[in-house]
Amino acid sequence: MIPAGELYLLKRSELRESHTLKVARKDGAYSALESILEEKRDPAEVTLVVKNSGLRGRGGAGFPTGLKWTFMPDPEKDTRRRYLAVNADESEPGTCKDRVLMRDDPHCLIEGCLIAAYAMRLEAVYIYVRGEYRLPYDRLQAAIDEARAANLIGDNILGKGFSCEIHMHKGAGAYICGEETGLMESLEGKRGHPRPKPPFPAGFGLWGQPTTVNNVESIFNVPFIINRGADWFRSMGTEASPGNFLCGISGHVRRPGVYEVPLGINAKTILDEYAGGVWKGRSLKAWIPGGSSTGLLPAELIDTPMDHDSIKGTGSMFGTGAMIILDETACTVRASKVIARFYDHESCGQCSQCREGTQWLSEIFSRIEDGHGTMQDIDNLERLSRNMAPGKTICALADAAAIPTLAVIKHFREELEAHVKQGCCPIKTRQESEVLA
Amino acid sequence: MKITVNGREVEVDPSKPLIAACHDNEVDVPNYCYHPGLTPVGSCRICQVEVQEGERPPRVVAACRTPVSEGMIVDTNSEAAHETRRECLEFLLKDHPLDCPICDKAGECTLQDYTYAEGQSSGQSSEPRQNFEKRKSLGDKIVLDQERCILCSRCVRFFEEVTEKPQLTVAGLGSRSRIETFGDRDLTGNYQGNITDLCPVGALTLKNFRFKARVWNLVKKGSTCGECSRGCSVSVEVLRQGEVKRIRPRYNEQVNRWWICDTGRFSSDRANPEGRVPALLRGYSGLEACEVEDALDSVTSAYRAHDGHLLVVSPWVTVEEGEALLELAASLKTEPIFLSPTPSELKDDLLHTGDPCPNRRGLMDLGFIPKSPEEVRELLSTAETATLFGERIVELIGPEPLDELPTSLRLFLFDVSGIDAPAIAVHCGIASWVERGGTWVNIDGHVGRIQATRPAPAGVRQPLSLIEGLLAAQEAVQ
Repeated sequence: MIPAGELYLLKRSELRESHTLKVARKDGAYSALESILEEKRDPAEVTLVVKNSGLRGRGGAGFPTGLKWTFMPDPEKDTRRRYLAVNADESEPGTCKDRVLMRDDPHCLIEGCLIAAYAMRLEAVYIYVRGEYRLPYDRLQAAIDEARAANLIGDNILGKGFSCEIHMHKGAGAYICGEETGLMESLEGKRGHPRPKPPFPAGFGLWGQPTTVNNVESIFNVPFIINRGADWFRSMGTEASPGNFLCGISGHVRRPGVYEVPLGINAKTILDEYAGGVWKGRSLKAWIPGGSSTGLLPAELIDTPMDHDSIKGTGSMFGTGAMIILDETACTVRASKVIARFYDHESCGQCSQCREGTQWLSEIFSRIEDGHGTMQDIDNLERLSRNMAPGKTICALADAAAIPTLAVIKHFREELEAHVKQGCCPIKTRQESEVLA
Repeated sequence: MKITVNGREVEVDPSKPLIAACHDNEVDVPNYCYHPGLTPVGSCRICQVEVQEGERPPRVVAACRTPVSEGMIVDTNSEAAHETRRECLEFLLKDHPLDCPICDKAGECTLQDYTYAEGQSSGQSSEPRQNFEKRKSLGDKIVLDQERCILCSRCVRFFEEVTEKPQLTVAGLGSRSRIETFGDRDLTGNYQGNITDLCPVGALTLKNFRFKARVWNLVKKGSTCGECSRGCSVSVEVLRQGEVKRIRPRYNEQVNRWWICDTGRFSSDRANPEGRVPALLRGYSGLEACEVEDALDSVTSAYRAHDGHLLVVSPWVTVEEGEALLELAASLKTEPIFLSPTPSELKDDLLHTGDPCPNRRGLMDLGFIPKSPEEVRELLSTAETATLFGERIVELIGPEPLDELPTSLRLFLFDVSGIDAPAIAVHCGIASWVERGGTWVNIDGHVGRIQATRPAPAGVRQPLSLIEGLLAAQEAVQ
């Protein structure tokens, strides 16, 4: 049953022309910003509200957003220019939540950016939008233009002495530019090669200046938290992961889409109540909780609350909360092959382990799926994945390739072995024989 | 700042990364992408060491991107560090062609060295190796083998950071990455050769060294480059006491750091001249081979028979030879002159001074007077005898003007290789800069040593011994 909780993230997007300033303002957009500017609230206090709300980053790692803001150096002591970079390079396979937010409610994102800029006392925001997101980009750009014309962006916003500029940047289709340091390199006009950390962005970010990188959905939550308070926010979701999140559910379901649900909701509820269950009356075989880089889980574990800690308990990760559903006819080896090929294609090529390892995993999965694999290959998959991650490379892309590999070995080893023993994909063969019969 | 490396407490420079702290204290840490002269990027991941800071449990980190901290405990030989390096090598070798038997880098390839060191003798990869361009010409000096490349990007960073004219880039993503020049253009500039030294594997090789020698057969001696007054420290590398096969930079903090220009590097091609002779004396049928003593006798008897001597020395003579030549000039009652050609257009902001006088400073300090080739030609026209002494003097004056000198001038030439100009009465061969020892003083006063890397051809004498021969004869007369 669909829980009775409040919806706020997608509420405005149900209005006609919700992306325009007129409709958005009528619906209360920029009211949080106005109240902050009107009351001349202390930026540190604004940060504290976000921190107290317990909002966790929605980009995949689930790091507390307010805490991240406090890492920015004190502008009195460090007079360098400071930046906020909003990560809208949403490229994790399965994930499509930010697209909806930018397309249908760009003004809420702009308001969130301005509040974040106010809280961190900075005057320039960069929004790095995935290049393929044409409509969201155009809508966001149009919204920025409208907001600027209404003196909501630029110098002396609403005559209250606060200035902030928002710039847009279009990515060129590289997954790696969604990694925060790769994103900064790309914004600087360089190849999107992630930087080694330390130094961390808060100390040495864009052009070497203090920078915070936040996901679109994280920033999107901010105006609501400011308007209605941390306690309201904490009334939704779980203790450790409060609030609602956008779950993009895709794969073998009746109604794929982006749904607003409270954190901690049972994954089975999302699948059955929102997405209409597994399609064609089939049963569930496996599911991915948060985008292709989080490990595949077997059907038995579908009865798990969707929040950071509960999913972690299953050995997978909450990630971006983008569920991918595989029905009983799906081959997990083939799915793993597709995932491995993606990471092979998207590795930036800096670190030896990732550059060679992602390719190697992809080659081994292809071979097993084609029926030419050996038992040694399965052991090699496991060994190579452990040699690639965790923390052995500059960024986490190697981890993103290794985690789903280890998960498929953990939960579906028999299926891998069946491929090797039968010398073909047993599922494909069975389906073909059914068609013939 | 003090840290502990492999159980030994050492003093380290806090501004340098951990790997430099280890290297400075003679602890080897494998590295490919790291080079002390370039910005660390931390991409090859081979420099794994185990560190312990404070109460935190030990962890394995990439030493090139880890700052040192007070009291840090470093173990470069822990089992975990070795294991991580072995894993990393397995990935690096996955697509490496392993063509060591035909690779010019074999023997000084760190991929080979560390693979042996870690005892990784078999691979698990059964996929076909990736194919890239095996011999891609990057211009007239360098060949790139994209298959051997491990994408350390040292060459890319060299052009970005040292010459500040980017020419190379990593093209493609992930496992399709490879090194390319921008727009597939040829490399330009006078510092290209350095990228072949920087390359830790056999991906970048010099066209003039390809398939010429196995590096373990080369005899290497530290020396100083003579192509300009910078006097870069170099290593002269000779194959089995024969030809100089290559010249490479030798680290010198004060002069050239890790680099040399291509003019200096490819002077190896000129270090093996043909037709070396101990001595030639003009007879009825032209210059004829003779004993060195006979040639010297002929010179000293001419000194006695004539007045109006001219002594011009090459800027390639060493300080030690210069001192002896000063005595000779005094006994001939002539000014000590050294040939100082006009600077060439090879001058740049990095190393090359454009001044082709490796020992200008040394000779000036001794009291030699610099004269341009034109001034020397002027002086030659009025002298009765002229002694031209030192390596490259013919080349630096120019062979044509020497050809035009009248036979009435008695011209004594002491050079590595000579010409058959009518005025030349005596030509004595001398040992070249790779066959003799001594010192040159560079433009900044830095003393550079040259060393004999191979013996001079049979009978060819050291310049110093020839000068001493001349001086002895002069003293006998006085």
